[in-house]
Order: sequence, then structure tokens, then C-alpha cells
Amino acid sequence: MDRLKVKFVVNGQPVDLNVKPSETLLETLRDRLELTGAKEGCGLGACGSCTVLLNGLPTRSCIVLTAELDDGDEVRTIEGLADGTKLDPIQESFMENGAIQCGFCTPGMVLTAKSLLDRNPKPSKEEIIRSMSSNLCRCTGYKKILESVEAVSSSKVSKS
Amino acid sequence: MIALKFEFRRPKDVEEAVRLYGEFQGEAAYLSGGTDLVPRMKLGLEKPKVVIDLKRISPLSTVEDQGEWIRIGALARIFDLKENETIKDYFPALKASLEATSCESLQMRGTIGGNLLQNSRCLFYNQSEFWRRSKGFCLKMGGKSCNAIPGANTCFANYCSDNAPALCTLSAEIEFSGPDGTRRLNLEELYTGRAEKPFKLYPGELLTAIFVPKKKSVGGYEKLRIRGAIDYPLLGVGFSYGNGTGKLTIGAVGPKPHSVEMKQFSQGAIQEAAETLLKQVRPVDNTVVNPEYRKRMVPVLAERLVNKVMEGVK
Repeated sequence: MDRLKVKFVVNGQPVDLNVKPSETLLETLRDRLELTGAKEGCGLGACGSCTVLLNGLPTRSCIVLTAELDDGDEVRTIEGLADGTKLDPIQESFMENGAIQCGFCTPGMVLTAKSLLDRNPKPSKEEIIRSMSSNLCRCTGYKKILESVEAVSSSKVSKS
Repeated sequence: MIALKFEFRRPKDVEEAVRLYGEFQGEAAYLSGGTDLVPRMKLGLEKPKVVIDLKRISPLSTVEDQGEWIRIGALARIFDLKENETIKDYFPALKASLEATSCESLQMRGTIGGNLLQNSRCLFYNQSEFWRRSKGFCLKMGGKSCNAIPGANTCFANYCSDNAPALCTLSAEIEFSGPDGTRRLNLEELYTGRAEKPFKLYPGELLTAIFVPKKKSVGGYEKLRIRGAIDYPLLGVGFSYGNGTGKLTIGAVGPKPHSVEMKQFSQGAIQEAAETLLKQVRPVDNTVVNPEYRKRMVPVLAERLVNKVMEGVK
């Protein structure tokens, strides 16, 4: 079977790969690039635990074929969010507000929140709920997740 | 993991896409957002020899005001469309259905054409190949009888598009390009009424655009689902009103949407319209809720929706 040459950017680094047509972006990230932050949950695009940012938008990497990516497409995973040892405010906020339990949904949740706040720094509560409900969590009950996003949007979180 | 070998092609225009389909003797799948196709390939419900990615055909994703019609490219994303000012102003039923479609991050990937051409769904069909093989193949997989209603020789799978009922209330038309050229038809003519093969499509035909008459309407869409966040509809009810006439459409019960025109909007008239629609559908036990409940929710959602919309007209 023919392999395809695909070039795109992951966490600021250009990558140049030969992929099988059936390879998903999640498989590329986890198995080839050793970026295991994105998690495989349902594998069918329903749960959101494999969410990464594709050109800034939350995208379920388990249902995107890597071959679909174009030159110049930018993928951001949870590994690419912190600036060195300095966490992104949304990561700080998740920690400060105790929005993490088992942690499986957390990378997807954080990236979905990041995308929302980048597009709309002051979302209403309704907008936060609508956006975050794209991702399923089986432990937190969402309250602390919503509080974490609200805290960043109202800049209550420490920016140190 | 997709346990399937296929080729991947990215045509530059519609003609090339259709030609590729023919080159692989129809063992091909068109890919737009992939939110329906890729899970289907993972479950082994779709086994194409080539996946034809349409995303590089840019005219397929634009929205255009043509005077009497608004042309919506089939690859326009659900999320972009719900932010579109013309759709907000002219077609509130469509806007409501776009908002109700899945969840926000899938709306950012999924396209309106993909939503319209999603295959019909059933609890006994949208399962892994291992699961389905163990149960025995149903009518939708070439088997001899239905797995939801054992012994039945009719497929009861549900067509779960949220946007289709809304577009039916707006008398939308759709355009296909295929090996024999282009054709345009009313959306309601698309459906075969048979859930095994829900669309009247010729091999290789590609949905290029949706045309909605540019007439101001008021309207809405009500959706029955378990989780507000992301579910497919268990029942979808659309309603649009303009120039003294209303159109009520239900979807997600059986293989196609059903519509009824309304001139009166009293409680009695709404109940009568709901009764007319109920006579055309046969909900069975193939979703996560009891069929009797889905049936009873038809007049409930219709009444709620029509009253809400008509309240704004007064």
C-alpha cells in the first residue's frame, strides 16, 4: 500500500512523515512522535479525550486521518502548551481549582478551554458550558472544570 | 485503529473527484469532515478501496447570496454556518438545528453536506464488526432479517441528521454532480424511504450545494436526546413559518424526514399536524429510549416548538 508524504507543524516543530492512509492523527502523535498527552477514549470521536488543537481549533485526533493534514497546518498538543517550566494560565487554573481527578480527560479539557479563551477571552458561563461539553469527564462533575475556565476568563488565577 | 487498507486521494475539482470514484468502480468514499465516515470505517461499516478527500475543492465550502437563493456549499462547516448572519436572519430553524448538532468541537470539523448524507443509524448496526458478526448480520448488512425486531424484513434504522428536518421546513433544494452531469432536486426527493439504503443517489454522485429560497422566516428546532452535550437526535422536530404558512417536519424516526404544511396554529391544529406525522412513522426499540416515549414526544415537541415560534409572530 502506498505511503503518503505529509508535512505539518507540531508544537512549533516541523514534521515530515510517510504515513499509511489509514493512520489517524492520534496514532501519529502517540506512536510515532511520542506525544502521549492526547488519550484514546472511545476512538470514535464521541468523548473528546484525544482533543488537540488543529490550527487553533479543538479537534478529535482519533477521527482525523494524518493524510488530511496540509503543509502549514499547525497541531498543538498538551505537551506544547507550557512555556518551558511555566504553565499556561489554564493549566495553572486546573491545578489551583482541583479540576483534575483521574486526569484522563484533562489534556483534552485544557486544550478545549485554551481554544475557547484564545477566541473569546471573556466567554459567558453559557458559552463556557457549551464549549466544554464537547469533552466528556466521568469523575469531576464538571463544576471545578467550569470554575477553572471562569477563573482564567476573569483573571482570578495567578499569572506567575 | 482503522483495520483497513485504502488509497487516499485529494482531487482539485469536482470532475476529478467523480472520475476517481469511477476509476475505483465505486468502491470509494467521499471524505469531507470525516466525523461520520472515519468512525464507520473503524467499525468496518464502510470498506472503501479509496478515500477521496474533498477538502481541497474550495468552491464546495462557500456560502453565496444568489438573490432568490442562498447557496450553501456542501463542505461548509456546521460551526461556521451557525455564525452566518444570513442564516441567522432568514432561516432560524436551520440555525437552531446547527446549534443542536452534536457538540461544538465536532461542529468545527463536520460539514452540512456530511450531516445530510450521514447513513441511517441503529443500536444493532453501529457496533463493532465483532459485535455484529456475533449477533448475525442484519438487513442493513445484507442479512435476512432485522436485529431490532427479530423476524422483520424491514429495516427500521433512523436517519439522524439534525439539519435535514430544518432544511425541509425551508423547502431547500440540493445539487449533485456525478458521471452524468449535474442535477438539482428538492431535499425531500433525496430519500428512498428504505433505511438499508436511504438515499436515491447514483454511483459517484457528489453533493455539491444546498440551495435555500431566500425568504424571511421564523422558526426553530427541538431535539429529543439523552445528553444535551453531544447526542444524535432520538427525535428532531423542525418548524418554519412565513407568509401565513408553516411547515412542520420530524426526523430521526425511521429512514427519512416527514413534513406537513400548516395554515392554522391553534392547539387543535398542532395536535392534528402531529397526528398526521405520527401516522407516517413507526418508532421501534432500536435507540436508547423506549419507542412509545419517542412517539409520545412528537406532539409534545411540536406543540412546544410551534407555540414558541408563533408567540414571536404575534
